[in-house]
Amino acid sequence: MIRLNGVSKQFDGKRKVVALDSVDLDVARGELVSIVGPSGSGKSTLLNLIGGLDRPSSGKIEIDGRDVASLSDDDLTRLRRDKIGFIFQFFNLLPSLTCVENVALPLHLKGLPRKEIESRARDLLELVQLGTRMDHLPDELSGGERQRVAIARALAFNPPILLADEPTGNLDTHTGAEILRLIHDLHDRLGATVLIVTHDSGVAQSCPRTVTLRDARIAGDARR
Amino acid sequence: MILLRLISWPYVRKHLLRSILTTAGIALGVALLVGMRTANDSVLRSFNDTVDRIAGKAQLQVSAGDAGVAEDVLERVQAAPEVSAAAPVIETSVETGLAGQGKMLVLAVDMTGDRSLRNYDFDGGDEDVIDDPLVFLAQPDSLIITREFADRNGLRTGSKVSFETMEGARQFTVRGILKAGGMAAAFGGNLGIMDIYAAQQVFGRGRRFDRIDIGLAEGVSIEAGTAALQRALGGGYEIEPPSGRGKQFESLLRIYNTAVSISSLFSLFIGMFIIYNSFAIAVTQRRAEIGILRALGATRGQIRALFLGESAVAGLIGSTAGLGAGLAFARSLTGVTGRLMENIFGVPQNAQEVSLDPRFLVGALALGVVVSMIAAYIPARSAARVEPVQALQKGRYQVLGAGENRARRWAAAACVALGLACLWAGAYRPLAFAGYSLTVAAMLLLAPFLSLELARALRGPLRRFKPIEGSLAVDSLIQAPRRTSATVAALMLSLALVIGQGGVARASYESIRGWVDTTLNPDLFITATENIASRGFRFPASMIPEVTKLPAIEETQPVRTARVQFRGKPVMLVAIDMESLGRRVRRIVVAGNIEEMNRRSAAGQAVILAENLANLEHLGLGDMVEIPTPRGGLRLPVAGVIRDYSNQLGSIFLDRKVYIREFQDDTVDLFRVYLRPGVAPEEGRRQIIEGLGSRRRMFVLLNRDVRDYVLGLTNQWLGMTRIQVIVAVLVAVLGIVNTLTVSISDRRRELGVLRAVGGLRAQIRGAVWLEAAAIGAIGLVLGLSAGAVVLYYELQVIQRDVGGMPLAYIYPLGVAATLIPIILGAALAAAIVPAEAAVRSSLVEALEYE
Ligand SMILES: Nc1ncnc2c1ncn2[C@@H]1O[C@H](COP(=O)(O)OP(=O)(O)O)[C@@H](O)[C@H]1O
Ligand SMILES: [Mg+2]
Repeated sequence: MIRLNGVSKQFDGKRKVVALDSVDLDVARGELVSIVGPSGSGKSTLLNLIGGLDRPSSGKIEIDGRDVASLSDDDLTRLRRDKIGFIFQFFNLLPSLTCVENVALPLHLKGLPRKEIESRARDLLELVQLGTRMDHLPDELSGGERQRVAIARALAFNPPILLADEPTGNLDTHTGAEILRLIHDLHDRLGATVLIVTHDSGVAQSCPRTVTLRDARIAGDARR
Repeated sequence: MILLRLISWPYVRKHLLRSILTTAGIALGVALLVGMRTANDSVLRSFNDTVDRIAGKAQLQVSAGDAGVAEDVLERVQAAPEVSAAAPVIETSVETGLAGQGKMLVLAVDMTGDRSLRNYDFDGGDEDVIDDPLVFLAQPDSLIITREFADRNGLRTGSKVSFETMEGARQFTVRGILKAGGMAAAFGGNLGIMDIYAAQQVFGRGRRFDRIDIGLAEGVSIEAGTAALQRALGGGYEIEPPSGRGKQFESLLRIYNTAVSISSLFSLFIGMFIIYNSFAIAVTQRRAEIGILRALGATRGQIRALFLGESAVAGLIGSTAGLGAGLAFARSLTGVTGRLMENIFGVPQNAQEVSLDPRFLVGALALGVVVSMIAAYIPARSAARVEPVQALQKGRYQVLGAGENRARRWAAAACVALGLACLWAGAYRPLAFAGYSLTVAAMLLLAPFLSLELARALRGPLRRFKPIEGSLAVDSLIQAPRRTSATVAALMLSLALVIGQGGVARASYESIRGWVDTTLNPDLFITATENIASRGFRFPASMIPEVTKLPAIEETQPVRTARVQFRGKPVMLVAIDMESLGRRVRRIVVAGNIEEMNRRSAAGQAVILAENLANLEHLGLGDMVEIPTPRGGLRLPVAGVIRDYSNQLGSIFLDRKVYIREFQDDTVDLFRVYLRPGVAPEEGRRQIIEGLGSRRRMFVLLNRDVRDYVLGLTNQWLGMTRIQVIVAVLVAVLGIVNTLTVSISDRRRELGVLRAVGGLRAQIRGAVWLEAAAIGAIGLVLGLSAGAVVLYYELQVIQRDVGGMPLAYIYPLGVAATLIPIILGAALAAAIVPAEAAVRSSLVEALEYE
C-alpha cells in the first residue's frame, strides 16, 4: 500500500537540515502503525511525504502502486482527496463553517451532488458520535469534539489510508484516549491503513507495529 | 531608534510587496500634487520671468486692458514731472514658421527713447559689426533677435526671417543680435524686437500702443508715481508695476489651479486610507509580537512611537518617490499646460523649463509624512492598548466590536443631520463646504457597516454560484471587516470622485454645447489668428465695409473682445452691435426681459452680464457696473443676465458704439458672418478670401470648425482633470492588492487545509478571485451611490466658487457603466499575484502551527 525507497528530505534554509535520510519503509494494506521518536526526528516530515503534502528531495514513494513523483500537482491533490485522510494535531477546521460544512468540504471540492453530500456528511458525523453537534461552529466545540469533526472530514471518501500527526497532542489524557479508541475502532471497522505519529508511549503500545525514528533515520521497526 | 531596526525592518522585509504598495498610495498623491502644481508654477514663472526681463528698468506700466492706449497718452505721461522716462510698447506673439521653434514674442519699441529703460547689449560676433543696430530699427523691416535664437536657427546679421502679419507673410531682416542673458533670455530666447510704428501697422493696432513703460524720477516712490500718473491721466487706466501683469495671469490660472489642487488632495486622502488599512492590518497581525514586547517591558508610549515611526518612514519614502515622479510628470506637463492656457486665455506662453519652488517641495514632502502619520495614528493607538496577556493568547481580533459599530453609526447619523442642516442653511460658503465634508465623513463612517451588510447579502448568490469558493470568499470578508473596510472605503471615495468628475464634465460639456448651439450660429467667422482666444492681431475698422459689401453676405457683426480690469479681476468686455445680436441670437436669459435688455443695451444705456460674472460678483438687474475706460470710466446699469460660457471669469456685453466712444478703439478681433439664404458656407468663404484675403492675414472659419474647436477645447480642459481619475482608480487597485495579499497571508492555514483535503488549484484560485471580485462589487455599489451625493456637492461648489455657472444634475450613467468592468477587471487583475501565491506556497508550512 505504501512503499518508501531511499527517501530523503532536506530543507535548504539558512542552514541545511536533513529531516529524513534515505528511509525505506513498507506498510501493507490495513496495517495500523505508530511512528515514534524524539521531537525533530522527522516524524511529521515522513507523514507529510506519504500524504503528498510535500515532495521528497530524493528517493521513491509509491502509494497504492502509483509513483508519487510522476504525478502533477493536481493529480496529487486528487490522490490526496480520494485515497488519504488527514488528522492534524491542531484540527485545522475552518472556523467560519459549521461542523457539517467542514466535513462536507472535500465532498464539495469533488463536486458531488448536493443531496448526497449533505447525507454523507451527516452520516460521517454520526459515525464519530457528533450527531447532536451538526450545525455548530468549531469555536463552540471542545477540543475532543473538534478532533472528531476533523476525523469525520478525513473519512469523507472512505480513504484507504488515514494519516494522523499527533492527533492527541493537543488534548487532555482522557479525551486523547477517547480519540484513540475512535481511530482504532475505525481501523477495525473500515479496514483502512492507519499511520499515527505520537509522543505517547501508551498510544504506541496499542498499535501492532511501531516505527521509531531517530536523527532522520529509522532506528527501530517493532511488531507485536 | 533601535526598535525600528530590530522589529520593523524584518517585518517590512517579510512583507515587501505590501510595504511598497502601502507607500505607493502616498507616492501617487504627492506625485500628482507636485506634478500639477509644479507645471502650473512653471508656466506662471516663465510668464513672470518674461514680463520681468522685458520690463527692464520700468517701474510702472500704463495700460487699458486689451484696448490699448492712444498715442496722445504718451505725451501726457511724459509731461508728468515724476516721470523720467516713458516708452511705448506693443507686444505680441507670432508663429516663426521655423521648424521646432514655435512662437516668437515680438516686442515693438520706439528706438529713440527705449534705451533709457532697457539695456540692449549687442553681440558683435564675427560678422560685420553695425555700430548701433537701434538706428537701423527705424527701417520698418528691421528685426533684432537673440544670440540663442540666431544660433539655433543658423541666422546672422542680414538674414531674412518671415512671419505672418496683418498684411500677409512679411520678410524681416535681422539687423542686430542681442547677447545672451538679461532681456535676451525672455520667452525662452524666442524674442524679436522691432519698430513700434511698423508694429502698429503689421499687427493691426491702428494708432495705439499696447502699453507705456515708465521709469520714475529720482526719489519718487512707486506709490507717489502711481498717484501722479492717475492725476495726469484721469481714471480708466491701469497703472501698475510690471509684476501686476503676473498677478492678472495668475488670477486667470486660479480656476485651473483650484480644480487641480482639489483633486490632488483627494488622491492624497485616498492614499491616507491605504496607509491606515496597512497599519490596521499590521497591528492585528503583529499582536503577538506587540504582546511579547510589552511583556519584556516596552511601555505603551514606546509601542505607539514604534508604529508612528514606521509610518513616518513610510511617508518619507512615499513622498520622496512621489516627489521624483511628480517632477518627471511636471516636465511633460508644463508644455501641455502652457499651450492649454494660451488656447483658453490667449496669453502667449513659452514655458519649457520646469521651475522648482523648494518651499513647496519641502511642504509636499512634509505633507506626505504628516498624512501618513495621521493615517497611522489610530492603529498605533490601538497597538499601544494591546494587553500583553491577551495578545499572547490565540483569538480573533478582526471582528469589529458591536459597540464600536453602534458608535460609528451614531456619528454617521450626526454627520448626515449636520450636513443636511448646512445644506438647508445654504448660501453661506463655509457652510456649504462644511456640508460637503460632513457628508463625506458620514459616508466613510458608514462604509464598514454597509460593506459588511453587502457582503452578507452577497453570500447567498455567491454560494449558489460556487458553493465552496463563494462561501470562502465572502466569509473572509465578513470575518475580517477591518481588513476590507478601509479598502472598500478608499474604493468608494475614489469611485465617488470619478462619478463626481464625470458628472461635472458631462454637465459642463452639455451646457457648453447648448450654448454653442444657440450662440455660435453665424455661418462663418473671420479671425486674425488661428486661435480664437488670442488677440495678438486685430483688423482695422476699414475692413468692415469691405466684408459687408460682398454679395454672399447678408449681415456681419464685428466683435471686439478686450480683457479689462473689473473689480480687480481680468474680465472680458465684449463689444458688438447689440441690436443685430439681439435679432440674430436667441440667448438663454437668466434674469431680465429679453426685449428690454436688447433695446436698452442697443441704445447704449445698459450692459448685459454673463451669468457666471453676475454670480461671482453678486450682481443683479439694475445694479451699476463700473468699467475703467480712458475717458474716465463708464457707469452703466445691468439690463439683463444671460447664460454665456465664452469666458471663465465672466463677460460684460456692451454695444460697439459705446466701446468705440469710451476706448477710442475701433479695431475688430472677429467678424461673425451671416450669409444670404441659399449660399453654401464654402462659397461664402471663397468670396471672402478672394475679396480680401490676398492682402491680409485672415482666417475664415466655418461654423462647424468653430464648434469643433470650442468643444474640443472644452474636452481638453476637462481632460486635464481626468488625470486624477486614473490615479484614483490606480490607488483603488493598490488597495485591493494590499487587502488580498494580507487576506491570503492571514488565511494561509485555511487555504492550506483546503488544499490538504483535496482543493484543486483552480478552486483555491477561484476563492481568491471571488473575494477580489466581491470587494470590487461592494466598492462599486457604495462608490456609485456615494458618487450621486458627491456630484451634487461638486456642482454646488463649482457654481458658487469656481465658475459661477449652474450646471444641470445628470448622473453620468455612461461613466458608471464603464467603471463596472474596469473595477471588476482591476480587482481580478489585482488578485492574480496573491492567488498564485496562495496556490504555490508550501503546504507543509501553511499547515504548521506557528
Ligand atoms: N519547513 C521546514 N524548513 C526547515 N526545516 C524544517 C522544516 N520542517 C521541518 N524541518 C526540520 O526538519 C527536522 C524534522 O522535523 P519534523 O519532521 O517536524 O520533526 P518531528 O515531527 O519529528 O518533531 C527538524 O529538525 C525541523 O527543524
Ligand atoms: Mg511533528
